[in-house]
Amino acid sequence: MREWWSKIRAMLLGRHGVSDDLAEELDAHLELEIQECVAQGMSLEEARETARRHFGNITLIHEDANQVWAFPSFENCVKDLLYACRMLRKNPGFALAAILTLGLGIGGNTAMFTVIRAVLLKPLEYRQPDRLVRVSVDVPRLNRHDVGFTLDRFEAIRPAAQSFAELGAFFVATENMTLSGNGAQPQALNGARVSHDFLQILGVEPIVGRGFLAEEDRRGGPAVAMISAQLWRNRFNGDPQVIGKTATLNAVPHIIIGVLPAGFQFPSPDVDVWVTRPVEFSAVPPQAWSITPILIGLGRLKPRVSLEQARAEMEVLGRQYGSSHPADAEPIMRTALLSRQLVEKVRSMLWILFGAVGLVLLAACANVASLLLARATARSSEFAVRSALGAARSRLIRQLLAESLLLVLAGGIAGVLLAKWIVAAIVNFSALNLPRAQEIHVDAAVLGFSAALSIATGVLFGLFPALQASRPNVADMLRAHGEGRASNRPVALGFSARGLLVVGQVALSIMLLIGAALLMRTLLHLYSLGPGFPADHLLTMQIALPPARYDTGQKLLAFYEQLVQRVETVPGVRGATVSLSVPLSAKWAIAIQAVGQEQMPVHERMQVQLQSVMPGYFRTLKIPLRRGRAFTERDDALNAPPVAMINENLARRLWPAYPNGVDPVGRHLRIGADQTSGGLEMVGIAGDVRESGLVQDAAPELYLPSSLYRPQRAALIVRTDADPERFAGAIRNQVLSIDRDQPVTAVKTMEELLETSVGQQRITLLLLGVFAGIAVLLAVVGLFGVISYSVAQRTREVGIRRALGAQQSDILRLIVGQGIVLTIAGVAIGMGGAFAFTRVMKGLLFGVTATDPATFAEAAGLFVLIAFAASYLPARRATRIDPLAALR
Amino acid sequence: MSHLNIDSMSTVDNPSERLEFLQGTLEVLILRSLRPGPNHAYGISQFLKQQSDQEFIVDNGSLYPALQRLLQRGWVTAGWKTSPNARRAKYYRLTPPGRKQLVAATSKWRRFVEAMARVLAPEV
Repeated sequence: MREWWSKIRAMLLGRHGVSDDLAEELDAHLELEIQECVAQGMSLEEARETARRHFGNITLIHEDANQVWAFPSFENCVKDLLYACRMLRKNPGFALAAILTLGLGIGGNTAMFTVIRAVLLKPLEYRQPDRLVRVSVDVPRLNRHDVGFTLDRFEAIRPAAQSFAELGAFFVATENMTLSGNGAQPQALNGARVSHDFLQILGVEPIVGRGFLAEEDRRGGPAVAMISAQLWRNRFNGDPQVIGKTATLNAVPHIIIGVLPAGFQFPSPDVDVWVTRPVEFSAVPPQAWSITPILIGLGRLKPRVSLEQARAEMEVLGRQYGSSHPADAEPIMRTALLSRQLVEKVRSMLWILFGAVGLVLLAACANVASLLLARATARSSEFAVRSALGAARSRLIRQLLAESLLLVLAGGIAGVLLAKWIVAAIVNFSALNLPRAQEIHVDAAVLGFSAALSIATGVLFGLFPALQASRPNVADMLRAHGEGRASNRPVALGFSARGLLVVGQVALSIMLLIGAALLMRTLLHLYSLGPGFPADHLLTMQIALPPARYDTGQKLLAFYEQLVQRVETVPGVRGATVSLSVPLSAKWAIAIQAVGQEQMPVHERMQVQLQSVMPGYFRTLKIPLRRGRAFTERDDALNAPPVAMINENLARRLWPAYPNGVDPVGRHLRIGADQTSGGLEMVGIAGDVRESGLVQDAAPELYLPSSLYRPQRAALIVRTDADPERFAGAIRNQVLSIDRDQPVTAVKTMEELLETSVGQQRITLLLLGVFAGIAVLLAVVGLFGVISYSVAQRTREVGIRRALGAQQSDILRLIVGQGIVLTIAGVAIGMGGAFAFTRVMKGLLFGVTATDPATFAEAAGLFVLIAFAASYLPARRATRIDPLAALR
Repeated sequence: MSHLNIDSMSTVDNPSERLEFLQGTLEVLILRSLRPGPNHAYGISQFLKQQSDQEFIVDNGSLYPALQRLLQRGWVTAGWKTSPNARRAKYYRLTPPGRKQLVAATSKWRRFVEAMARVLAPEV
């Protein structure tokens, strides 16, 4: 302890004092010995010589004594680092290339880690988030998973459930609500419907006011609302007196009772207002509230109850409920952790990207290792001299590692800067709809990760060349004047160390290339399928008419008819129509039954997608009509006979022989629970539309005229003859001219919706494509370097071959062949790796298998071509070698 | 003439006789040489040479680092003084902790020697 202290003090005060004093002391000592010798009768000259010989090497003694005060390993480290700095400054090109490469690798990994940590790894910001459970249902026959259940089911299960300390429910989606009054512009809000106990279950306190009470959750109870911190700030200026004030939501006055903390994002981010009574969704008529499956359960597990126990109990209770409710017996209870459910859709995509960016980092390491090896070769005589002068191998390795560490430090800093940028790009990629996006930040944990990653990287790419280069064959090296072969001697399978690195790089880039190519094929496939109609020049928006003001079907229909008429007067509008939901995001289903076929109980009838449309729908969207006719204004008239249209998919389901055999047009369908009426006459068959986005195949679909199913909330779709976005303002004005309290929301072009429906594929392709591009570039640079180096080394050999009569083409074949061999070895390994790993991408691929042979062959072929080009350039140089000059 | 080697830096001509010394042996000997009174480096090596009957020839390359270590540990202090023959020299002096250390090391060393002797004693 004391030793350390005095060492540190000596270091801080400078060691010169000790050093000078020591020199003086040694002089005095020598003088004493000389005196002694003189006293023994020697001459002064003789005495001086004898004493000095006896004394020993003064410089060495001085150094050794001085060394006692030093921290040898620390000071050597500093020396190594300073030396490394000088070496890198002398080679700015090399340093820059290495730092940029490492920066890319570390930056990509840091960015993906940032996203994954926030989205997948960080616990939710609720009390004991690992005890929070989400309950939903699967309906396997309809291929519907993780969907809502009915209030009847919830009210049967809730009192019986023993696994939960509390069990509440919330509306599966959010609802567009209109905040109006006080003379201000009507404001469209995102409203959530939750049971009164949701805050207790989550363990969150309002920042102002209180949460909901049980009596406010009962049908007909007082209308109250909680608001988000953001709405509180923007609309109410953060006034604490907001509690007790009235806000008119959907034309119904609600009393504001509380404000939720900023960043609160249950059940989804960007909710502005929360109300109770989760089933009272304004689009559902009150008589259907208890049987419409729109609820998701939210529960907190009792202490010591496991998720598995809760799951088993829910399944049993679900079956019990089903046996007494045959109409609602199909759904199977599904119980999962809230945290897991939230990110289910992006989980595999994020891990795939993290894996891919890891491969990029490996490729970057290989590249820098290759650069270091090349440099080590150039410096081999330096190492030989140092090792001849007695430097230990460990000292040489330490020196080389110090250089690697310095590189990776700079690369790490560049990487963190890059990561910030990549993270922003991912978060802002709106089509991805990343959950928990606002929690994504580059913070201390992320910096720690990149620091650890950088050090690991430095050792990984630095150690291999260091081990290689620190073992110089001193005698050979000195004799050959430094033209060493450190990097070209075969280390395995006849490949040099750099050759092996190139093989690895090729393998990594082939894997990434194949991944990107598979996604590219998926996207091309999806785009070629299309949505079922031309999506260009279409503008869509949502309108939710508040039930308080639009309380009859006539009022709704009158609004929509007037809207279509007015919008069609806007110059440049080719056509306008209103439908229940925007194509590509349909949510509604209905049970149907063909009249004349075997009659089934309601719950066994086929569930099909429901779309209710104004007459101009098929003309405006240009959905092809296959048989019969489309709806006309006459179908909406009072007392008109009820009609329906179906899509081809449904026609095939009902009459498997379609388009041959029975003609569905003119036949009748019953909908919902209708058992007895004559049903609706099918007047036409339309082409299939992918109502659930491009990644889902078209499903059976029923079209009804708006007069038969009058939507409270609907989509306005407008076809324009120019850029549709330019029409948004004019169309909004038409809406306000009919009802100045009526906002429009979600104004989007159809093409945007199309892009959004393949958002995951697009961002994955984008990132994988960039990663693959980087990896291929690195591999090509590596290959080019190795071949160029080999040409330089084989100058004499090529000269001899030429002198012995080899043609230019022979030389070309010799050199290019070398590159091709490396490439083919890498391609083979890479294809094996891709074969093993691309299957994790299965969930993202459509129209192509994870091991699609054509894609594999294309990627391999492309790479061999690139490799050919990369080796051709140095090979050309080899053909120009003058045999005379080379041999002289 | 054979003498024991204190350190590998010694200029002895018969390396086969090199002996491994317990760490710190030289330090104890230096402390012991300072017990009669302060002395300079040359005096210390002379003292050791005479006291050991020429068995210990302390090399300067070992002596100086050892002295620095003792200074570091605070067992000796050093100061410039004029020697009896009117020369300036750096004198080392035992400190109280140094004295304590000498006592402890001496008894430890005795135990070690006795133990060695018992083990090596000729069988009777």
